[in-house]
Amino acid sequence: MRKTLKTFWRIMRRPSTHFSLGFLTLGGFICGIVFWGGFNTALEVTNTEAFCTGCHEMEANVYADLQQTVHFTNASGVRAKCSDCHVPHEWTHKIARKMAASKEVYGWIFGTIDTREEFEAHRLEMAKREWARFEANDSLECRNCHSYIAMDFSRQSPRAAETHERVLGPGDGTCIDCHKGIAHTLPDMSEQQASRLLERPQMRGHQTALVQDYLARTAAN
Amino acid sequence: MRFPRTSIQIITLCGVLAAGVAVAQQATISSLRPTPPTQDETPPPMRPAIDASLREVRNYPEQPPVIPHDIEGYEVSANFNKCLSCHARAATGRSQAPMVSVTHYVDRHQQVLAQVSPRRYFCTQCHVTQTDDEPLVTNTFIDIDTLIGMSQDSE
Amino acid sequence: MTMTRRDALKAKAVAAASAAAGMTAPAFAQNIPTARDETELTWSKAPCRFCGTGCSVMVATRNDRVVATHGDAEAEVNRGLNCVKGYFLSKIMYGADRLTMPLLRKRDGVYDKNGEFEEVSWDEAFDVMAEKFKKTLAEKGPEAVGMFGSGQWTVWEGYAASKLYKAGFRSNNIDPNARHCMASAVAGFIRTFGIDEPMGCYDDFEHADAFVLWGSNMAEMHPILWTRLTDRRLSAPETEVVVLSTYRNRCYDLADIEMTFTPQSDLALLNAIARHVIKTGRVNTDFVDKHVNFKRGNTDIGYGLRPEHPLEQAAENADAVGGSSDMTLEEFEEFLEPYTFEYAEELSGVPARRIEALAEIYADPDKKVMSLWTMGVNQHTRGVWVNNMIYNVHLLTGKIAEPGNSPFSLTGQPSACGTAREVGTFAHRLPADLVVANPEHRKVAEEIWKLPEGTVPGWVGAHAVLQNRKLKDGEINAYWIQVNNNLQAAPNLLEETYPGYRNPDNFIVVSDAYPTVTAQAADLVLPTAMWVEKEGAYGNAERRTQFWHQLVHAPGEAKSDLWQLMEFSKRFTTDEVWPAELLDAAPEYRGKTLFEVLYANGNVDAYDISETEAHPNHESDAFGFYVQKGLFEEYARFGRDHGHDLADFDRYHEERGLRWPVVDGKETRWRYREGYDPYVTPGAGVEFYGKPDGRANIFALPYEPPAESPDDEFPFWLVTGRVLEHWHSGSMTDRVPELHKAYPNAMVYMHPEDAGELGLHRGSEVKLTSRRGDMLTRVETRGRNKVPRGLIFVPWFDANQLINKLTLDATDPISKQTDFKKCACKVEAAT
Repeated sequence: MRKTLKTFWRIMRRPSTHFSLGFLTLGGFICGIVFWGGFNTALEVTNTEAFCTGCHEMEANVYADLQQTVHFTNASGVRAKCSDCHVPHEWTHKIARKMAASKEVYGWIFGTIDTREEFEAHRLEMAKREWARFEANDSLECRNCHSYIAMDFSRQSPRAAETHERVLGPGDGTCIDCHKGIAHTLPDMSEQQASRLLERPQMRGHQTALVQDYLARTAAN
Repeated sequence: MRFPRTSIQIITLCGVLAAGVAVAQQATISSLRPTPPTQDETPPPMRPAIDASLREVRNYPEQPPVIPHDIEGYEVSANFNKCLSCHARAATGRSQAPMVSVTHYVDRHQQVLAQVSPRRYFCTQCHVTQTDDEPLVTNTFIDIDTLIGMSQDSE
Repeated sequence: MTMTRRDALKAKAVAAASAAAGMTAPAFAQNIPTARDETELTWSKAPCRFCGTGCSVMVATRNDRVVATHGDAEAEVNRGLNCVKGYFLSKIMYGADRLTMPLLRKRDGVYDKNGEFEEVSWDEAFDVMAEKFKKTLAEKGPEAVGMFGSGQWTVWEGYAASKLYKAGFRSNNIDPNARHCMASAVAGFIRTFGIDEPMGCYDDFEHADAFVLWGSNMAEMHPILWTRLTDRRLSAPETEVVVLSTYRNRCYDLADIEMTFTPQSDLALLNAIARHVIKTGRVNTDFVDKHVNFKRGNTDIGYGLRPEHPLEQAAENADAVGGSSDMTLEEFEEFLEPYTFEYAEELSGVPARRIEALAEIYADPDKKVMSLWTMGVNQHTRGVWVNNMIYNVHLLTGKIAEPGNSPFSLTGQPSACGTAREVGTFAHRLPADLVVANPEHRKVAEEIWKLPEGTVPGWVGAHAVLQNRKLKDGEINAYWIQVNNNLQAAPNLLEETYPGYRNPDNFIVVSDAYPTVTAQAADLVLPTAMWVEKEGAYGNAERRTQFWHQLVHAPGEAKSDLWQLMEFSKRFTTDEVWPAELLDAAPEYRGKTLFEVLYANGNVDAYDISETEAHPNHESDAFGFYVQKGLFEEYARFGRDHGHDLADFDRYHEERGLRWPVVDGKETRWRYREGYDPYVTPGAGVEFYGKPDGRANIFALPYEPPAESPDDEFPFWLVTGRVLEHWHSGSMTDRVPELHKAYPNAMVYMHPEDAGELGLHRGSEVKLTSRRGDMLTRVETRGRNKVPRGLIFVPWFDANQLINKLTLDATDPISKQTDFKKCACKVEAAT
């Protein structure tokens, strides 16, 4: 193994004796374009709705959900496709996400989620992964289209405008905090609801510390 | 105050009577559908729910309030109750939405529970959104305040 | 309580003024009234006017008007809850277009079929009506008069109507709209148990471990029962809910197992479950040995279409639809052999694994199962079979007639059980499960009614769909419709319903509170008092009989159906309508009016009017005796000591209803089970006493295809139904602004991809066409109903979107109930 690598390294280091420098640079450049183009095209194909819904588990579950939502039909006819929300637009993140997605291919090949029942069994786990991603990147994929600064509050319902101004403006929350389930039906949310209710705004700072301290002391008894 | 109100009553009364007479002599009595069944009626456009978030006056205190905002896409299933994510007691501080009434915490046997009773779980069985479609027929229900006012008037 | 004319005018004006302003008078800067005499309301109980659940509501009245309603906390059915329709009951009587005078089509001052509606007096209305009925009876006999009533009739209205037709006019051409709704359930009960109505009760909701919905969108159609089911499911996490339907509906929000199946394949699913129970050795052999017989039902029984239809011509057993022969459990097992889960999957599209999961719920002896169904099963060309087959599974496993183990047929209408079924206002029935075809049964009726033998005819009258055919063919010529809107409700409107109403040979009378599309097609329209404008009784799906008092006066000249029936009977003498031999048999009745013979007969007029003093009662005021009590007590004689015992009249005004049989003052919750049901022979444990040998029947019945399926020209299944916010044809609920604005217009629910392929958008105007008619509507691709590809759902409440122009008048050949859930249609952009 080590020997093979050494031989390869030697060949790579040695100047070419058969091809001109021009041929090599230009050829390399063209090959680069072709490869990059091909790679990118292939990557883009994996971003299409047809690709995503090509397998039954996507088509019958998450895509069927999406078809019932505002991201599928709306007044202006702008449709969000799977990748708009689930694949980062920025290159490095996109590649990272695509690499992570190879796990999904594995799941598909080995039939982890063949049936509705299996899908339901994994739904919470998958949803949590997406929520965590959105929470970590401050709902980046939402904000690719919905920027806070571009919102016209006069065109939102009073309730929406008020909440956006109060929560989103100061950065007290991020889109996914309130808009879970905007594009898909939700898994069992009892766990989520319970944990969220503990983060009550009136329980801040030293109050929370005092309560925790009290709970710790009383629990010991 | 009384004079103008009485005038309105009389004017409207004339309108009602005139309409009544007109109906009685028309070929069409069906007030929801103007044409015979052999014809096709053009369906009115589908309108979205009113989203003004302004509370509607209830017809009587026991009436479940109508929902003054759009709820399209809200999930209320065994997995999740979107309505309660704002209207549950603990959520109202953040949401500033009205808390569900205390009746909702009572079970079949009049016991008050720690959470909203499961029998009240599916909100849209009682609470509905409203479109701005005009009712096809006027409703002449008189609410109790008006009725009390009328008996005071006639004294 | 009486209202002066001045008050009435004033009320009208203020109502109009406040309606114009949108709501109540504006709030001025003044304090609220607090004096007791100003703020006191009179509260009384009444059952809800809408579905078969039978919720009790509290009704507040003041100044002869209903001012508020709320759920009755003391009622066991609903414990304080109502659905959105129930909460708005206060407003259903106050549509501005209430009918207040009879309307007759006239030209040049006289009745003319093609004339315009003019207001007439009751006298003139009944004069013309009586003349038409007498002429028809004289020229063509009792088979040419007919009546279409309702599961929304009060008990005594149905009873009085039945008497007037079956004994007075001697015509069995009287049928209720419950035929469209419950007939398959009835035939299912009679075939399997020999006695109508569920053995269990709503208490089963709190006892069951699993709920299986076989074609019932309870979340919308029986909302308060859904709250009881939800309560149980969410409070006890170990419980399960299985939802079967041909499209996703709101019940799926609670489903643990969802099974969206191809229309008609429920037959195969049920056989696959029965097969699984047998194959895995989970038959409750002790129960089956003691309490069950096996029968092979006749197959290839046709589709209830007109006899000349090719499908009827081809059907082998079209003339022996209900027949069956004996078989054994072993033969039954053999019969079920083809119904593997894989075969059921092939027919239904439901994965075999999921069918097995459902079969396991039934097979598991430790799981108490409640099966529930309504129109998905009953409105089915094999509806009786599906009813039988659900009982098959419960009988095989012995999961029946005990708390939590309950095959439960839900009813659609508030008194489908109490009136249509128990009073027997069907074309083939008499009270308490007696039938007109049985001479012994007729004799019972004639004795109770004090009428000569031979008064009640033995021929089975025309059922709902047949009445429409006979009107069109000119065989029924004088026809009275009460408490329903059948032009909107009946199938195949343009080909089979409307032509009969406008047939120049026919005289059509419609009694209604509001001018419906049926009223519009009539020749005489009678203004009718509704709900708490009269004293009433309804019987709900769990055998619970509930009463209410008249609380307010009806507007104008509007009168109850009961008053109309009894007053109209005064216009006929026995000599005019009975044959000579009958008059010879009862010479004392010669020259008497039908009113005297049927209602002033010593039974019905036995109770003094003074008993009604506490409440208004316009019928008793008119006839001079306590009409409702007399009718009820005479009617109750049919069922007492015959398994249908009703309590004394007065007791029902005190109780929140009682479930029959009421024996020794006690109601019965679970029938056929010793310890609960006093009719079971001591020591028997379980006894299906509706059958002579005390055994229920398991029926071997196959999968057979529907009458019409989608093809290249008409590629979609059309399913019709109701929505939560509207009751039936919307004649009440569409006049409540809040309900109208909650669901203003019908629409077609379509799969987004089907819509996309046709170039349609959500909101697009489309034309729906079947072989029988077309209708314009708009596309909905989202919302509460999520239909699979190739199927559309359209609600029928909307008077401006008459979906029954498209539906097929195919019925279950046994029950004669229409299949409103399956026909073929196409969808195209409206141009």
